[in-house]
Amino acid sequence: MDEKMLTKVAFIGLGVMGKPMALNLIKGGYSLRVYGRRKETMIPLVEAGAIACESPEEAARECDVIFTMVTTTRDVQEVVLGERGVIAGARPGAIVVDMGTISPSATREIAARLTEAGIEALDAPVSGGGIGAVSGTLSIMVGGKPEIFERVVPLFSCMGKNIVHIGPNGAGQVAKACNQVVMLVALQGLAEAFAFARKNGLDAAKVYEALSGGAAQSRILEVLGKRMVERNYDPGIEARLHYKDIQIVLDEAHNLGMALPGTALVTQMFNALIGRGGGNQDSSQLIEVIDTLSKARP
Amino acid sequence: MTVNIGFIGLGIMGKPMALNLIKGGYPLWVYGRRVESMAPLRAAGARACTSPEEVARAAEITFIMVSDTQDVEQVILGPKGVLSGAKPGTIVVDMSTISPVATRSLATRLMESGIEMLDAPVSGGESGAVDGLLSLMVGGKSEIFDRVKPLFERMGKKIVHIGANGAGQAAKACNQIAASLTIEGVAEAFTFARRSGVDPGRVREALLGGFANSRILELHGQRMLDHDFRPGFKVRLHQKDLRIVMETAHQMGIALPGSALVAQHLNALIGSGEGELDSSALVNAIERLNEGR
Repeated sequence: MDEKMLTKVAFIGLGVMGKPMALNLIKGGYSLRVYGRRKETMIPLVEAGAIACESPEEAARECDVIFTMVTTTRDVQEVVLGERGVIAGARPGAIVVDMGTISPSATREIAARLTEAGIEALDAPVSGGGIGAVSGTLSIMVGGKPEIFERVVPLFSCMGKNIVHIGPNGAGQVAKACNQVVMLVALQGLAEAFAFARKNGLDAAKVYEALSGGAAQSRILEVLGKRMVERNYDPGIEARLHYKDIQIVLDEAHNLGMALPGTALVTQMFNALIGRGGGNQDSSQLIEVIDTLSKARP
Repeated sequence: MTVNIGFIGLGIMGKPMALNLIKGGYPLWVYGRRVESMAPLRAAGARACTSPEEVARAAEITFIMVSDTQDVEQVILGPKGVLSGAKPGTIVVDMSTISPVATRSLATRLMESGIEMLDAPVSGGESGAVDGLLSLMVGGKSEIFDRVKPLFERMGKKIVHIGANGAGQAAKACNQIAASLTIEGVAEAFTFARRSGVDPGRVREALLGGFANSRILELHGQRMLDHDFRPGFKVRLHQKDLRIVMETAHQMGIALPGSALVAQHLNALIGSGEGELDSSALVNAIERLNEGR
């Protein structure tokens, strides 16, 4: 308990993911300084005992560990390096932990800038969605120095269960990109399978049941497959967020000079999904795009 | 009537295009980022400038032929750029291949200062530029197009006004989509022929007489048969152009699955160190996919 009371923590970005993650840190006994771009997002945290701040700079001041959980690469750059950003407030020796999903190359650049200022950096993107964030069961993939990782593990443990140090700065983001590739290409497979089943006149729910016991069993099948069967596209994870993540992967593949044909194809299906206005719905709606391709919708 | 002309960007394409304007009798002010790129133009009678701004100050019509969207933005909006030198009523013609979306916002920015803009990307490669036989796809107001047309005719043969600002770039994107997928198709057909124990040269000959006949089958097909991948149009430029297409599709929310696949094969070529080869080297990617059988 002593060490927890001595560790001062900041949390920046209090959206669907950030809010429950920050609350779990408070539950874990840490005292928190918080900042959210929309002021009202700070209210539930203040009620739980956190101190609301006016800027990332102010939140970072005096803190030992500063978490950021915002949406895009540009948001992270702004929050960390921008005017009144973390870098302006953090003291040398502090650790900045970015838990958003952003570009690995940008992550390496941000880490280099922080290091120049004597500040340590970890990238620690998560998998597990809103449900995992609330229950504190996220998977956390971490990049950065191992000794810095070790120091933050007690805090990670309040938010997640499967916490893996992958490698140096940026490695966490690369692992997250791998996670998104596996997940979204599998999602395409599910969408095609259920569209195929329906076109054959089958009951998709029965097929779902059968697949769940076999080699095609997966968490994606369990959660997003179910939504496809029920044609229930309330998010979950909004398609526009997956779309953002997959674009990061394709940009990296372009820069690496590497072919990811399956990922590229799924991205096009996401383009179509967004184009038909499905950006704010669950990604399982991909099945509707596949149906439409062959006018298969009964 | 003499019209003072500016030309910015004197690379593989820009240099012969600018020379063709000089041959047409137009007085030319030129700027190239690399000072030595201006020497052959100066020798032909052009005046060398120290910035895009200086070119635009002298010219009634300023042509731009640089590599990518960022370069065009820099040349027009950057410090000592075209925007700070150009007078109201003058015309800026961007002949580079860049994003249609960025083109529209550049046109808007120029219009705010009373400067007209056309986008006029070309197809036909270096040989087309040298011979003045390029295809030009033009976006912008039709009365502005009519004023620039005599100059376009010095550089190209097939000159089509497609529509409003950005329409030229959109047409060029269509050109890249159709061309890329045709090259991919020819590469796959030849691989299929070889794997079937059939002479792809014979196949090409037969196909040239049928529905699959195309200029790409003729030219790129021959290069694939000869394994002669001297450019031509380089893989890395093709990758750049296709990226513009994919980004625009992304912004519009439309699916282009075939183009996306070809873009991945181009990535693979770049990663294999084949970025400087002609894009008919796509056949290498398909061959490698099928190695070890």
